[in-house]
Amino acid sequence: MKSLFGKLTPGYLISAVAVILLAVLPVAGMPRSWTLYILLFLIYLAMSNMWNLIAGYSGLISLAQPAFLGLAGYTLAICSWVNVPWWAGMLGGAVVAGIFAFLVSFAVFRLSGVYFAIGTLVVPEALRIAFYLWRPVGGSLAGGGAGYTVKGLSGVGIQDLYWLALVIGLASVIIVRIILRSNLGLALAAIRDNQKAAASSGVNTFRIKLYPFIIGAIITGLAGAVFYMYQPFIEPISTFNVKWTMIILLATVIGGMRTEGGPIIGSIVVVFLYFLLANYGNYSLLIQGIILIVIMLLSPQGIVGIASKTGLYRSIFRFVRRPLRDYRTGPSLPHDS
Amino acid sequence: MNGEILNPLVIGVLIGGLYALIALGLSMVFGVMRLINLAHGDLVILGSYLSYFIWTSLGLDPILSLVLTIPVLFGLGFFIQQFLMKRAFAISSEAPLIIAFGIALIIQNANQIFFSPLSRGISTSYSGQSFFLGLHQFPVYYLMDFIVALIVMLALREFLRRTYLGRAITAASQDSKAAQLMGINTKTIYGFAFAIAMISAAIAGTFLGMTFPFTPLSGTQFLMIAFGVVIIGGLGSLFGTFMAGLILGLVQTLAGYFLGAASQMLFVYLAILIVLAIRPQGLLGR
Repeated sequence: MKSLFGKLTPGYLISAVAVILLAVLPVAGMPRSWTLYILLFLIYLAMSNMWNLIAGYSGLISLAQPAFLGLAGYTLAICSWVNVPWWAGMLGGAVVAGIFAFLVSFAVFRLSGVYFAIGTLVVPEALRIAFYLWRPVGGSLAGGGAGYTVKGLSGVGIQDLYWLALVIGLASVIIVRIILRSNLGLALAAIRDNQKAAASSGVNTFRIKLYPFIIGAIITGLAGAVFYMYQPFIEPISTFNVKWTMIILLATVIGGMRTEGGPIIGSIVVVFLYFLLANYGNYSLLIQGIILIVIMLLSPQGIVGIASKTGLYRSIFRFVRRPLRDYRTGPSLPHDS
Repeated sequence: MNGEILNPLVIGVLIGGLYALIALGLSMVFGVMRLINLAHGDLVILGSYLSYFIWTSLGLDPILSLVLTIPVLFGLGFFIQQFLMKRAFAISSEAPLIIAFGIALIIQNANQIFFSPLSRGISTSYSGQSFFLGLHQFPVYYLMDFIVALIVMLALREFLRRTYLGRAITAASQDSKAAQLMGINTKTIYGFAFAIAMISAAIAGTFLGMTFPFTPLSGTQFLMIAFGVVIIGGLGSLFGTFMAGLILGLVQTLAGYFLGAASQMLFVYLAILIVLAIRPQGLLGR
């Protein structure tokens, strides 16, 4: 008990309070629009966290993320058409995304650096055409293409989706945290910094890179499935779309690539941006592109980078990391009595 | 030989030339700066739109319009390299890639705003004409694509071999440190390399606009084709690039012939992924 208290820091307390607050907000009379904002934030958070893991920490600039969330969404939709319950469809979607990532890795993992990025860009494009041509169930649609409404969601309210997204978003944060502090995280850093040196030190580079890629695909798939329950219609053009990649990239880059806090801050900014730019729909990609370039050039580590440069981050960090035990003996703290 | 199959074979070879031309700029930027320019497809499409705009507003023949579009894209390429990429290279290895992605979306969206999302095509007085091969008739613009691709490639080869700038670019691509020690200003050279790649993009864009209908979103498709050409052809060999263009052109037209036009691009993408999985150094690469 004592050792547990010794490890307890304000950081954990703040996170716990934030999570509890997020969890009870929808039943505490939060406006419905805010529920939607936070739902979207949590979905983006899970996706950008996974991209940060793949691209930031593993050095694999994957542009294939829409493939994973789209495949999961399609699995969910198709399952709902053959009367599989939604939760099984969602888990099935995550499994399909994971298996697909495994299969695709044989082609794209032979590429390094810049080649990898564009190799992965081919994947959602190919899937878009495939799903445009192929309609697995439900007969042919007038005009071709495979658009589906997700059925069987009558028992699932917006609050249930919200909590589901909260669990997935939280899981993504915890998974990244665990991976970075494990041997896997160490091996990933070694590969990112120098793949040849890592390989000659006995790191199985193919397998080590495969883990975050597949984990990323599964979590991205889960988040995608939740999104397509929230917006229960799926069709190939908007699903396997580079706009998803843009959102994920933007959230990670604005917040701070290769920082744990980055995707959290970045996702909040992106959700705000999304609603701010809603009135300028025609220009939204243009503005997002400019923001992406400006942030990348001025502060490659995003907002977290700016905060750490100004010293703000360090003081927050120090406060958040210092065990609570120390505060009891600290002389100048107000709650000390 | 069955006469019917001659059709996709000939067209495949001819548009293969166009694909090689589209890939030329991507290959050059990659060869010199080690950057996969994710905005390449959209820059080519920007060239198509500029030609289209000049053709509709000034009534200028698209080939003549190159006099105007080449300087615009040349300047844009120089700007992108000198003001964005040069800084990005100093930041990290993924920064140029992310910035190129941003540029791609900016151009895509700008094309949508200025030229509307509708599908466009450039048609000229000679685009309705055709030439005969045996008994079969083919549109003449396919032949023009092929010939122009050959001319541009030969011109680029001679430029790289014979002029100071060309040799400096080759030197900087082979060993930038050694080139610097020999008194070459590699930073400016990179700017010119990007700008020259954009000249080929402008030419490719104009002929693409005369051959295929295009939308602001077509850039991604042609980026992928260009990438496939670079992957299959390997780097550094103009001959390899040309042959790879022909291979992808043939894959597309033959898939369209045997399996229907709707699925032809799917087979191009599959071909790229299969080559990546089996021979990532390229079918024709070293």
